[in-house]
Amino acid sequence: MVMSVREDSEERLITLLKAQDDQAFHEAVSTYTPGMLAVARFYLDPSTAEEVVQDCWVTVVDAIQKFEGRSGLKTWLHRIVANRCKNKLRAGKREVATDFSEVLEPELAKRFNSARRWDVPPKLRFHESADTLMENGALSDCLDKHLSALPETQRSALMLYEAHQHQSEDVCNILDVSASNLRVLLHRARQKIFLMVETFQETGEC
Amino acid sequence: MLMCRDLAEIASDYIDGELSARQNLPVKMHLTMCQDCRTFIGNLRASTRLMQAHSSGHPDEELLRRIDARISEALKTRRTRDNDGE
Ligand SMILES: [Zn+2]
Repeated sequence: MVMSVREDSEERLITLLKAQDDQAFHEAVSTYTPGMLAVARFYLDPSTAEEVVQDCWVTVVDAIQKFEGRSGLKTWLHRIVANRCKNKLRAGKREVATDFSEVLEPELAKRFNSARRWDVPPKLRFHESADTLMENGALSDCLDKHLSALPETQRSALMLYEAHQHQSEDVCNILDVSASNLRVLLHRARQKIFLMVETFQETGEC
Repeated sequence: MLMCRDLAEIASDYIDGELSARQNLPVKMHLTMCQDCRTFIGNLRASTRLMQAHSSGHPDEELLRRIDARISEALKTRRTRDNDGE
């Protein structure tokens, strides 16, 4: 077994955190915040995710005293974030009533004629890769805005589905929806993102 | 026969491989004939990837500074409490 330098330094860091050392907290924040943020973003919209991570760190100031090191520090921190996000999701669940009978977004549904063919077909093909597209800061901001505007359950369905490697069962359990309703939530969220990117590509506006 | 709108309705299931072989066949046939639906599926896929790329973002310096500030405050409160012999 390799007892790495990292484990030594983690132990040292934990000791300093317990001693309420400012510099140690500063170090921990820059080391562990990216991962915590990634976890939170699987559950929540970007700005709520940031809030949750901030709140978690404040909790850690007291909670670290009881940290026994049975799991790694990172795992422990991620667990705190995930639990807080799940509570937030449960609390906000009542907020949304998605119409599960309608699969297509009204905005998209309008684009078919009575013969069920495209009346207003998708005009542009998104040629660039996702990474290239994301390098456009304006598009990234726009996506942020639209993700935040999605009904909470739609956004959660989308993020959780990707985060849990498409394990629908896990996502259904967390969100407390049926498998078929999850499919509707996912599809409707994706259509909204599609419509947003299309408008952005066409007009440059969000 | 499967029309464009029908395909749009089950597009996510198709992308995620949730359709049975029997359901998949008419979709594949439609896609060989219909450029518009090929574009739609391609763009929907791209949107999904975009969302994935977007959600793996890194925190900016500003957030880290805010967290540091809140921690300093919490530490101060804690020290005061400890000194008061809680
Ligand atoms: Zn078609």
